[in-house]
Amino acid sequence: MGEDTRMNLEPYFQQVETDVLGAMSKPRMFYWIALAISALAFAGGLTLWGYQIFKGMGVAGITHPVGWGVYITNLVFWVGIAHSGTLISAVLFLFRAQFRSAYNRIAEAMTVIAVMTAGLYPLIHLGRVWRAYFLFPYPNQRLVWANFRSPLVWDVFAVSTYLTISMIFFYVGMIPDFAAARRHFTGIRQKIYNGLSLGWQGTTDQWRHYNRLYMFLAAFATPLVVSVHSVVSWDFAMSIVPGWHSTIFAPYFVAGAIFSGIAMVITLTIPMRKILKLESYITVDHYEKIAKVLLVTAMIVSFSYIIELLLALYSGNIFEISIFKYRMLGHYRYFYWLMIFCNVLLPLTLFIKKARRNLVYLFILSLFVNIGMWLERFIIIVTSLAHEYNPYSWGTYTPRPVEIGISIGSFGMFFTFFLIFSKTLPVLSISEIKEQKEHLEQKEKGENQ
Amino acid sequence: MTNSTFSNNEKNSEVIEYEFASKEEFLEKLESLVKEGVVPSKLSTLTPFHVHEVEHILHTAPSNLRFFTLVGALTGFFLSFAFIIFTVLDWPLITGGKPLISIPAFIIVAFECTILIGGIVSFLGFLHLNRFPDFGGILHPKECGNHFIILHNQG
Repeated sequence: MGEDTRMNLEPYFQQVETDVLGAMSKPRMFYWIALAISALAFAGGLTLWGYQIFKGMGVAGITHPVGWGVYITNLVFWVGIAHSGTLISAVLFLFRAQFRSAYNRIAEAMTVIAVMTAGLYPLIHLGRVWRAYFLFPYPNQRLVWANFRSPLVWDVFAVSTYLTISMIFFYVGMIPDFAAARRHFTGIRQKIYNGLSLGWQGTTDQWRHYNRLYMFLAAFATPLVVSVHSVVSWDFAMSIVPGWHSTIFAPYFVAGAIFSGIAMVITLTIPMRKILKLESYITVDHYEKIAKVLLVTAMIVSFSYIIELLLALYSGNIFEISIFKYRMLGHYRYFYWLMIFCNVLLPLTLFIKKARRNLVYLFILSLFVNIGMWLERFIIIVTSLAHEYNPYSWGTYTPRPVEIGISIGSFGMFFTFFLIFSKTLPVLSISEIKEQKEHLEQKEKGENQ
Repeated sequence: MTNSTFSNNEKNSEVIEYEFASKEEFLEKLESLVKEGVVPSKLSTLTPFHVHEVEHILHTAPSNLRFFTLVGALTGFFLSFAFIIFTVLDWPLITGGKPLISIPAFIIVAFECTILIGGIVSFLGFLHLNRFPDFGGILHPKECGNHFIILHNQG
């Protein structure tokens, strides 16, 4: 065999490192402006939270009969956003889906940041945040333990586990890339990446153990994704509130979480690939594939809406029927129909190939899906509490400025951390892209011979 | 291909280093070394990404990490179940007319703990098996860039 038939992909590998690690170079003005806006929103949210702690929960609009409002809506929304991060990364890894490498690192970062954002909401909603440790089982002075039959305790375990495993998964995936980063940078950054690489050299044994660990973590994370949002749904479904007490809630919430998470991945990556000049790594083909996943999940969510409604009608239970009539025709009807437009009708346009490949359209669509999914949680939570059994206790809920400010602050927190991530950690999996390129070249070579 | 020889002072043995820009060439050399009768344990590689073929050529056993995962997952499952049952028996408090030991409700936390402890122990196992953090590697990293390297320990 002649030497010339052998592939030398070293220049390509170098190029990948230069492109991905180069994206972490000195930020431009646009980045600083975006970071300043996000950080300002975050700081504003924190200030309002401080105000709420100082003044008491009366500054928020949640009161009888709607005791769960925007804070719990945001909790469910952010946990949902966190879901597709691990889904894209872990499930697609187990199924060996090639397009995963374009999104997995961004999605994993999104997961970690979104869970951290979500984790703040039980504390914000708690009011007396200094009592937060009551959530965890510990032998207190009265020797009473947490009630392990309560879905709220399940939630504490589920979300904490999800955060821990997602962080491990995120970090482990970056170890070989930190080793590449230490070659690329100098000074203090080199020292930091060197430390974070733990002394990675890429030996046979290191790769062997790494590959096995990654597979195990992916295998753990997959049922975890399903369990966490099922547990979140049981916070509602285990109660006997009409509109909540339904067996469909777990799969319905899981599908919704994946749907909203994928939309957020699209929202984040479309401007990011442009700003960081990563168009050759996150291609239009990748978007077409992820748009198909978005379409499938949109249809599952739509199917869930129909089933949920039919279950209420078929049950003959006047309270269930009444709550669904209220959702469609009551105080919050505009939100309900906007939700149907965003989550059911608009995604159907993705059946058209041109729409799937048009990034501007996809970006706008993903924003609508994000809005629609936030509204879905708001409608589920608020309408059921506002219109429960006894007409005497019915009421309405309008978020107060403090709640709106804290909600905007949570978006500020999410984008602040995400922007910091985009300039401090490799946004694409360098070693995986190299491996994939090598496989592709081998395949092409095999086909040509 | 480039060859270099250097001495490994710690083990007082000589290591021959073969460096390749192409993966195919690297695998061919590795295969030929094994065919020449070099014991696989004397061979080590450094690669920019995971090359599965290396494990087949060197007949490496599957990673022992699975034992860490299994032990961690089982520990998480049984410990959490034992802990929950202990708490309900330590202060018996009937809620909602449910039995004190309500296995279906407890499965959820036990499942989460199975994954939590299984994941953490797997990660610790990974660090242990690779002897991470490798301070020698951190202070004086051996940079192979994007090359495929075979290290043949002659000792």
